[in-house]
Amino acid sequence: MNQKELLKGNIAIAKAAINCGCKCYFGYPITPQTEIGEYLSNEMEKRNLAYVCAESEIAAINMCIGASSSGAKTMTSSSSCAVSLMQEAISYACSDELPIVIVNVMRAGPGQGYIYPSQGDYDQSTIGGGNGDYRIICLSPSTVQECIDMTYKAFYLAQKYKNPTILLLDGLLGQMAEPAIINDNPYEEIDNSSWVLKGAKNRPSRQINSLEPNQTKLNSHIFKMFEKYKQLEENEQDYEDFMCDDADIIICAFGSLARCAKDLCSYYRQKGIKMGLFRPKTLYPFPNKKLEELSLRAKLFIDIEMNMGQMLRDVRLTISHNAKISFIGKPVGDWLKKEELIDAIDKILKENYATSL
Amino acid sequence: MQQVYSTPKSIKKDSTFTFCAGCDHGLAIKLVAEVLDELNLRENTIAVASSGCSVFLYDFLDVDCIESPHGRACAVATGIKRAHRALNEEKFVFTYQGDGDFASIGLSESLHSALRGENISVICINNTNYGMTGGQMGPTTVLGQHTTTSPNGRNVKYHGYPIKTAEQIALCDGTCFSARVALCDIKNIINAKEQIKKCFEYQKQNLGFSFVEILSSCPTNWKLSPSDSHKKIKEELSEIYPLKVFKDIKEND
Ligand SMILES: Cc1ncc(C[n+]2csc(CCOP(=O)(O)OP(=O)(O)O)c2C)c(N)n1
Repeated sequence: MNQKELLKGNIAIAKAAINCGCKCYFGYPITPQTEIGEYLSNEMEKRNLAYVCAESEIAAINMCIGASSSGAKTMTSSSSCAVSLMQEAISYACSDELPIVIVNVMRAGPGQGYIYPSQGDYDQSTIGGGNGDYRIICLSPSTVQECIDMTYKAFYLAQKYKNPTILLLDGLLGQMAEPAIINDNPYEEIDNSSWVLKGAKNRPSRQINSLEPNQTKLNSHIFKMFEKYKQLEENEQDYEDFMCDDADIIICAFGSLARCAKDLCSYYRQKGIKMGLFRPKTLYPFPNKKLEELSLRAKLFIDIEMNMGQMLRDVRLTISHNAKISFIGKPVGDWLKKEELIDAIDKILKENYATSL
Repeated sequence: MQQVYSTPKSIKKDSTFTFCAGCDHGLAIKLVAEVLDELNLRENTIAVASSGCSVFLYDFLDVDCIESPHGRACAVATGIKRAHRALNEEKFVFTYQGDGDFASIGLSESLHSALRGENISVICINNTNYGMTGGQMGPTTVLGQHTTTSPNGRNVKYHGYPIKTAEQIALCDGTCFSARVALCDIKNIINAKEQIKKCFEYQKQNLGFSFVEILSSCPTNWKLSPSDSHKKIKEELSEIYPLKVFKDIKEND
């Protein structure tokens, strides 16, 4: 047990899901995440668990609503345009306070786009693509090992906060194989007996609903949801700070792209420029406390994303009063050669430090 | 004194139906409650109420209940049934949906649940319009019928044909029972209850997807009195939507 294996991100997620007691999976194929459903189809049938090749993503996410209300750990996986189809039900699940893990292995572009790596769904995942006031917990792995660790964490946070949780990665990480360990799920089980629907035996009947004709009750329900989000923002911010302690310049990047950024830090440090990397691991709650603290010292932040500047908004909201922020972005990630990034960063450095370079 | 009637145990105490006068939703829910009582299912049931006038189910029915997004009740019910099985528990799961919910926006989820033979039951209220939103043309609106979005009457050339839901569901291999009933008079009410009971019993026996369509009145949107609404069902609508059993896996055997 617990030996290093060569694992694709997608398979790692599927294995971790089984390992931490996922009982239900519903999904519909779409590249670049289809291996998750393929792998689970066999593993779950063998174990007499619930697996349905749903007729659409709309059906899949609504099956998740039903399964989650029954108290079973529940997951679906999909990609960008198909996650868009799920948004109505995700909004319901937030209001219903149902734990569901949704894996989005992003593809590029609006509409159908293509299967290239991209981070274009940051906004949809963190702000929410559905209607009304709600938040989605959103975790961002950058290695295959983190795909495993964060699958465990996604199930845990979903149960703990009774909220859908998105595991957000790009096709690069989903498809890429690297050594990782399927370690044990480190999180405790959360008792759900106070709210799940199992039949009204020896207790009053229960209702799970988002419809609320009473204005006062609807208001207080949403206020209550936001109390929960406040707790999340208080307690669950997670990040990696790499070479940040003495850094003058800090790159902000998430997901697979942050790995390139680490290379850049070493490259510039060899040239005498103190560069660090700030990598949010939770995209919601965005780790603004640490980022703000870093902005008291470092005066230039370079936000790099495989999109046109989505996390950039959270970075700006957090630190624009303290530091300068530049942005490098391109919506399709196939381009991310180190040399291209260096060119772009050199240009930014020249603009900001004309003399010292 | 002999007690000849009491409110079903599966109806919430002190609840008063809030449906429009003469609407059949209330009676349909009462029949469902009686059947749940008689089959001793109340404590083991999870009901799915969908968007539409049917959503108020959970205000009246004293069983565990979840609201589904508009049209997705069969998918939600699939998740519930399968999840409990994965947890080694067997629950009775049924949906209570409007015709627009089941046969229009949710047709994909409905049909595929029947095709898969999901072991769930569906009660579908056919009132030939979108009731909750104020009586627009729906998939079951009959030819010639005036609604707020077919103000000159539904006609084939402009609007196309309506769907015969119970007949369509009967065509699915995974369906074990499909029937259409009405609540327009005592005889039909008694028959409706029998068919609902059969529908629920078939799920208990693990036979597959069981379905009852209830031809129901909508006096407010039809702009008819309750008694004229029931007359319309008896004399006109049941001609177009025949009241019969379209599939019964036990009879066919
Ligand atoms: C996705 C979505 N579209 C539209 C609506 C608005 N809506 C609520 S109920 C309803 C129609 C319900 O008609 P039906 O299913 O026939 O049930 P009835 O009210 O007649 O019992 C509509 C269109 C909605 N809630 N959600």
